[in-house]
Amino acid sequence: MIKVHYFGIIAEAAACEQESISLGEIGLQSLISDLKEKHQLDSYEFQIAVNRKIIQDPSTIQLENGDEVAFLPAFSGG
Amino acid sequence: MDYSRQIILPQLGDSGQKRLQDSRVLVIGAGGLGCAVLPYLAAAGIGTIGIIDGDVIAASNLHRQLLYTEKQIGLSKALEAEKYLNAQFPEAKARVFNQFLDQANARQILEHFDLVIDATDEISARYLLNDTCEQLGIPWVYGSIHQFQGQVSVFNYREGPNYRDLFPTPDPAAVSCSDAGVIGTTVGLIGMLQVNEVLKIQAGFGKVLSGKILIYDLLSCSQQVFEFEKKPKKNPQVEPIAFPLLSIGEAVLPERILMDVREIGEIPQISMNNYLQVPLSKLSEMAQSLDREQEISIFCQSGKRSQQAAELLHGMGFAQIRLIKGGANELLAYLNYEKDIS
Repeated sequence: MIKVHYFGIIAEAAACEQESISLGEIGLQSLISDLKEKHQLDSYEFQIAVNRKIIQDPSTIQLENGDEVAFLPAFSGG
Repeated sequence: MDYSRQIILPQLGDSGQKRLQDSRVLVIGAGGLGCAVLPYLAAAGIGTIGIIDGDVIAASNLHRQLLYTEKQIGLSKALEAEKYLNAQFPEAKARVFNQFLDQANARQILEHFDLVIDATDEISARYLLNDTCEQLGIPWVYGSIHQFQGQVSVFNYREGPNYRDLFPTPDPAAVSCSDAGVIGTTVGLIGMLQVNEVLKIQAGFGKVLSGKILIYDLLSCSQQVFEFEKKPKKNPQVEPIAFPLLSIGEAVLPERILMDVREIGEIPQISMNNYLQVPLSKLSEMAQSLDREQEISIFCQSGKRSQQAAELLHGMGFAQIRLIKGGANELLAYLNYEKDIS
């Protein structure tokens, strides 16, 4: 099980703040692509964190059961 | 002002209070976050407080911008915030800039401050603020909100990561408070966290939120901290090494070796004594068999590849590298001229 958190405008677009995904081992890049398609996130800019660390190159990361992934957009209000 | 109750905090003390008094902090934006941070900066004893904002007070601001009243609608936020500080905290020296931050004024305003608080409501202003702070070598405290969530971080602190390391690409979908909605408690809480980082940095206590972004969610009262790192620079600005330059007349002396680093078959073709063709693409391999103490004079077509080749050989330990002024065409013209007159 992989837990995915969405923040800010991404949570609005996905219409949820978190979801759990039952998958075996999966590459982070594939998970991002799947969720971008599922929630139509192509027009948004965001960073990806795995277990509270922001990932610079998602193609190098293999996810494991229990990992937490976060979609982090920059907020703009003030 | 009597600061005795905070001075007895062991983390602060007299010396910490003195450091706050000597600090110059600029607040960019006197809106929701700005109104939250300004009184707390002044009350803590920050000596010089800058305020920059070109906006005017609107009725829809008053529910969260608590420095202003209905009577001030239509007046400058920066000037009215200054009046508030002067009346309430006369010890704090206020410096006011009744304008928006832009490319033309950013550097000359920011250079008078030790630290900047971001209280803007625009992504583009944050990139400008980030780049200017990086040029000037000053830290800035980021704060931003989206409805009931807020983000806080400290950028460019002791050469730590900055906003572009976290968010390299501006988000075209980002929305402002006027579009997304906002309530006073969100900007109040995020503003407090920002001031707290300022006090830690300037007085020197606690752990600064550098290389980390805190996201607070007021609906669930939960917070998460995410770590991030400085991105490796794609094009580090390395100064080219200055190798000795030779004129063509000096270069063709019999004791010198001339190395042509153009690829095989490039015209004009050169034929002369002491000529060595070592294409740049094969240089690192072919140079293995050369004497590293031998003086080598390099040329190509325009000079660009010569410089690259020279730096590569320099890196391999070649001690006597020269660059020839002018390229293959000039060299050929010189050789033909020499042949004609002899």
